[in-house]
Amino acid sequence: MHERLSFYVKRDSLLHSLNPLTKLTLAFGLTFAGFLSPWYWTPHIVILLIIIPLSIIGKVQREYFNATLRLILPATSFLFIMQALFQPIGKTIIFQIWFLHVTRESLSFAFANASRIFAMVSSFTLFLLTTHPSELMSDLTRRGLPSQFAYVIISTIQIIPQMQAKAQTIIAAQRSRGLETEGSIFKRIGALVPLVGPLVFGSLVEVEERAIAIEARGFTSTRKKTSLREIRDSGLDKIFRAVLVLIVLAIIALKIWTH
Amino acid sequence: MNIVNLTQVTYTYPLTDKPALSKVDLQVKEGEFLAIIGPNGSGKSTLCYALAGFVPHFFKGELEGTVQVAGVETKSSTLNEWVMNVGLVFQNPFNQISGAKYSVYEEIAFGLENMGVPREEIKSRVDQALILTGIDDLADRSPYSLSGGQQQRVALTSILVMQPKVLVLDEPTSQMDPVGTREVFGVIRSLTGRGMTVVMVEHKMEWIGQFADRVVGLYDGKIFINGKPREVLTSARLVGRGFGISRYTSTAREAIKEGIWPEDRELPVTLDEAIKGFKKISK
Repeated sequence: MHERLSFYVKRDSLLHSLNPLTKLTLAFGLTFAGFLSPWYWTPHIVILLIIIPLSIIGKVQREYFNATLRLILPATSFLFIMQALFQPIGKTIIFQIWFLHVTRESLSFAFANASRIFAMVSSFTLFLLTTHPSELMSDLTRRGLPSQFAYVIISTIQIIPQMQAKAQTIIAAQRSRGLETEGSIFKRIGALVPLVGPLVFGSLVEVEERAIAIEARGFTSTRKKTSLREIRDSGLDKIFRAVLVLIVLAIIALKIWTH
Repeated sequence: MNIVNLTQVTYTYPLTDKPALSKVDLQVKEGEFLAIIGPNGSGKSTLCYALAGFVPHFFKGELEGTVQVAGVETKSSTLNEWVMNVGLVFQNPFNQISGAKYSVYEEIAFGLENMGVPREEIKSRVDQALILTGIDDLADRSPYSLSGGQQQRVALTSILVMQPKVLVLDEPTSQMDPVGTREVFGVIRSLTGRGMTVVMVEHKMEWIGQFADRVVGLYDGKIFINGKPREVLTSARLVGRGFGISRYTSTAREAIKEGIWPEDRELPVTLDEAIKGFKKISK
């Protein structure tokens, strides 16, 4: 039952040793740069000259490549095609299927958009690959994020796969009592009804018990919480974050100025 | 010295009419191991919650009478004060794992982090607790990769590390296989050996018969019977009321009816006692 429950991959790299907030700022910074910069080729440069090298520095290039191949590329390609075909801009028709035209302008627009999304998803993927969820949550809590908020996020990440396993058990139990789960779409929807009860009510009971359990461990205590893990926040981290914020502000200024 | 003192406690859950507990008087001495038995719906879990302060602070509802545990009295305190003094462990190990931590070590440290304990102290307390409950070999594993018995021991350790004065357990082994049960009882036994006050709701009569100092039976929200394990567990008053009676006791009762077991001999509660008793007959 021991699955990998988060994107995080444990490695010994420069990226891993950066403070979680720094990496989060970087992911947001690269995203904003891609979306806000007035220069067309920004997202592409971000991907080629920043994200890919960073994946190598972070020693997660293989995982990033896998994620790209399986998820990011298919999704953005789909987006590209849809936008190229359906975006009603431009006059220079290059290509026509039936009533759908692909113009030079829509191609250009779609390519820009798809690249921005690609850059965004890539930067957050890198972030998730090199940041342990516990570390992120501890760091954010230390900086003022309410602990309930952090708890909801992090427990959801771990508990959902467990809930899925339970759902499978409930389905198996109902099937052994004759529930038909295959067949027409109507049958399958009908099969959901006897599952909803046990799943929903079971979950509600579990939530109450878990609330009691964490309460019994002082979760709602008003004392200042301490942390077992020590999370470094070096001078380099702070400078890096400041620089990122300045760059984004500069890009915004540039965008306003060139409009 | 009574560390637990319940006086005329009556409690009704919100939106219900019938009280879950009625005029309960209960005292527990420091270092005692008290077992609580009772049919389903008799108020055992409610009593556990009352001992831990969750009734009424978590569940709201109406509480009459006084509940005093480890120097803290219900009406004049907050739930936070209670959780420092009373530990609560319940049936389902899965629901007691916070889900916020990725290793057993961190899971156990969770309570201490919430209490604001300094980092070095957290480490030493967790290290000690792991050895105390015999799970130091599980420290680096994900809590979700463990068996039920292991998870329950993690839950127990997570509470023990907070150093409560009283430990309340609500059917901690009911979802466990025999191996898991033995593991958990083993830990509890070593705790009582060290002077920890333990109140445990349990169905497994054979185990209670071996370890408890005293047994209290609840019926319909009221204290029905209270005495030494032997007296209570073999009492005829338990019959026909939904109490889970030890199979060895029931068998010996049937044997009395058949004229096999002598009427004046003590009824067995555990397997060993049953073996000894029945061996004498066959001689």
